[in-house]
Amino acid sequence: MLTAEGSSTVYPIANKGSSYWNSNAPPSDGEYWGSNPEEGNTVPGWEALGEPDMRLADYFASLYGFEPSGEQATPPFPTSIGLSHSGTGCQSVVDGLVDIGNSSGPITAELGWSESKAEEEVVDHVLGRDGQPVVVSGDVYDNGVQQLTGEEVRQIYQDEITNWSEVGGPDQEIYVIGRAEGSGTDTSFRLNMLGSADAPMPGVNTRFGQNQQVATAVAQNEGAIAYMALAFTSESAPPIAINFEGTVYEPDRDAENTIFDSDYPLNRDLHQYTKITDETPEGTDMREAAFMNMFLTDFGQQVFVEANNYIPLPTSDIESEKAKLPEQM
Amino acid sequence: MAQAAETETGAETLARHVRRFREFLATTDREALAVVGVMSLALLSAFVGFLLVSAYTIVPFAVFLGAAGYGWIRYQGLTARLLMLTMTVSTIVILLLIITFIFYESVPVLVYESTTVLGVSVPGLRMFTQPNWDAVSSPIRYSMVPMIHGTVMVTVIATVVAAPLGIAAALFLSEIAPAPVREFVKPGVEILAGIPSIVYGFIGFTVLSPWASDQFRILGQGTYLFVGVVVGLMALPTIVSVAEDALNTVPESMKSGSLAVGTTDWQTMTSITLPAAFSGVSAAVLLGVGRAIGETMAATVMLRGVPRITDPLYNVFYGQETLTSLIARNYGEADGLQMDALFVAGVILFVTVLVISIGSQYIEWRMRKKFGGDV
Repeated sequence: MLTAEGSSTVYPIANKGSSYWNSNAPPSDGEYWGSNPEEGNTVPGWEALGEPDMRLADYFASLYGFEPSGEQATPPFPTSIGLSHSGTGCQSVVDGLVDIGNSSGPITAELGWSESKAEEEVVDHVLGRDGQPVVVSGDVYDNGVQQLTGEEVRQIYQDEITNWSEVGGPDQEIYVIGRAEGSGTDTSFRLNMLGSADAPMPGVNTRFGQNQQVATAVAQNEGAIAYMALAFTSESAPPIAINFEGTVYEPDRDAENTIFDSDYPLNRDLHQYTKITDETPEGTDMREAAFMNMFLTDFGQQVFVEANNYIPLPTSDIESEKAKLPEQM
Repeated sequence: MAQAAETETGAETLARHVRRFREFLATTDREALAVVGVMSLALLSAFVGFLLVSAYTIVPFAVFLGAAGYGWIRYQGLTARLLMLTMTVSTIVILLLIITFIFYESVPVLVYESTTVLGVSVPGLRMFTQPNWDAVSSPIRYSMVPMIHGTVMVTVIATVVAAPLGIAAALFLSEIAPAPVREFVKPGVEILAGIPSIVYGFIGFTVLSPWASDQFRILGQGTYLFVGVVVGLMALPTIVSVAEDALNTVPESMKSGSLAVGTTDWQTMTSITLPAAFSGVSAAVLLGVGRAIGETMAATVMLRGVPRITDPLYNVFYGQETLTSLIARNYGEADGLQMDALFVAGVILFVTVLVISIGSQYIEWRMRKKFGGDV
């Protein structure tokens, strides 16, 4: 049994992965794993996996040397995800109560550790990000505003810039959309974009509580700017590149710096910590690696991360995360 | 009867009640009295237990149920009377408790928003003397002025839309339309009242608001004008239905008398029927206005959710926030003083509806005095 517990933010990703793992669906399923030509269903990222002729957990476990069970609902080893808090998850993995500690903040902040202590004790695996890309309405995007500086975004939300022509766009007033006053999304935007958690936002014209409302309003109105979960962006509400102090974060997964990076100020990493012990000096044993590797595939990123409205990792981060896992068989 | 009651003095009334109570005690079976007494006492202690949040509240309540069950079998008439009295009293008590609760919950923010006037600190006054709302960045202010302004705007527009249309439709249905038309249209109008408000709000958000934004070159979407129009349409069925009932109660004899002296149908309508049914018609409009003030879903979906007074005051092309939509939009995220401020919005709504209700009763009473018993 592989056990994990911790943050409610990481929980949806880890728990969905665990549910898929435990049911060990066959490759003919199509909805949860593999491809079903009769119903025309194929899971995302199936081709990139090389279309293996094995059940889901059998396949990922076999990469790390586990014997496939070949049976429904019988993975090579079962997984269980508990729900508590980031700090609790970190403490539990350190105390050896669970194999994996889920946390939405770095363990250094959660347990008050130094960087060096964290490096000695645990391995930090990142499986996705939580964050809010800045989007503009399609007409503004098509008329030249595909990138803003962080300072420009701040000025727009604080009513110092009110027309798109001031930032290289069309002569059109800016329709500024915010999120419900005092909500988590609102507070983190004020903190990371405007400088402090109680920064004023006099430029906001409209506030919405839900991502869906924001997406509709951006698509319906000309000259709009907003921030919302990645899954709701579209051609009529495209994410834009943001220039923070000289670094341009682009909405392209393969770019050098992307809005999916952890450095992008509106993002935070979602961590899974594993403990360094005498048996596993590298910090990650084969069971942990088999399970976590599932999230580092195209399939895992799309089904578990993106489908839960979180930000998938850019290509370069996937590479570096995979490097933390032991060699595959 | 009524005349007699009015001339009676307080002492006489008291004496009459005591006499009736004695009579009741003397003429009722001992056992029945015991059952009634146990029921009353048990219920009273259950209520006290409820107020004290006691885990043992269930005990007296069970006793009450047991006594009521026994009483129902042995003394059905008496038990039923007591049960019905209990139901009535509990309705009123529940309402009173709710009112007490919303007032109680709003106290902290009222204290926070105190202002000194002539050396006296008046709690909550600052919520009405300055127009800024900001729950996050300093200075933190919870002004109710933008929401009161929004509610007034929406209500006025809704009334302007709904009252003339509604009264005209009611007049047509009651006085002009042939019977088959009336029998077809009246139920149709009443069905309209049953459409859930989110349906109107959804149409407003996806169709009306973007259209208005385009046509009037408004920055973004959400206008008091169209929220008012939508809410007015929602109130329309209520007004038509109630006003039509009121017009129908005007006795045929009054209309015939008018026609007999040579007036036209139109003259009869405007100078006899409408004035005679004025109390009912105005009650209909007030009911509609009440619905407009209380309307939440459509307003929340269509408005902008940024408490701010439009500039100038009568600018109906920007729709910020009403008292109801403030509560609906923020209850999930709010905490501390912000949550208490939502209760203040609730208190204001409650007081407003109370005033309207009393106002409509007063109009009715005046009209009854003026026209006598028939209306």
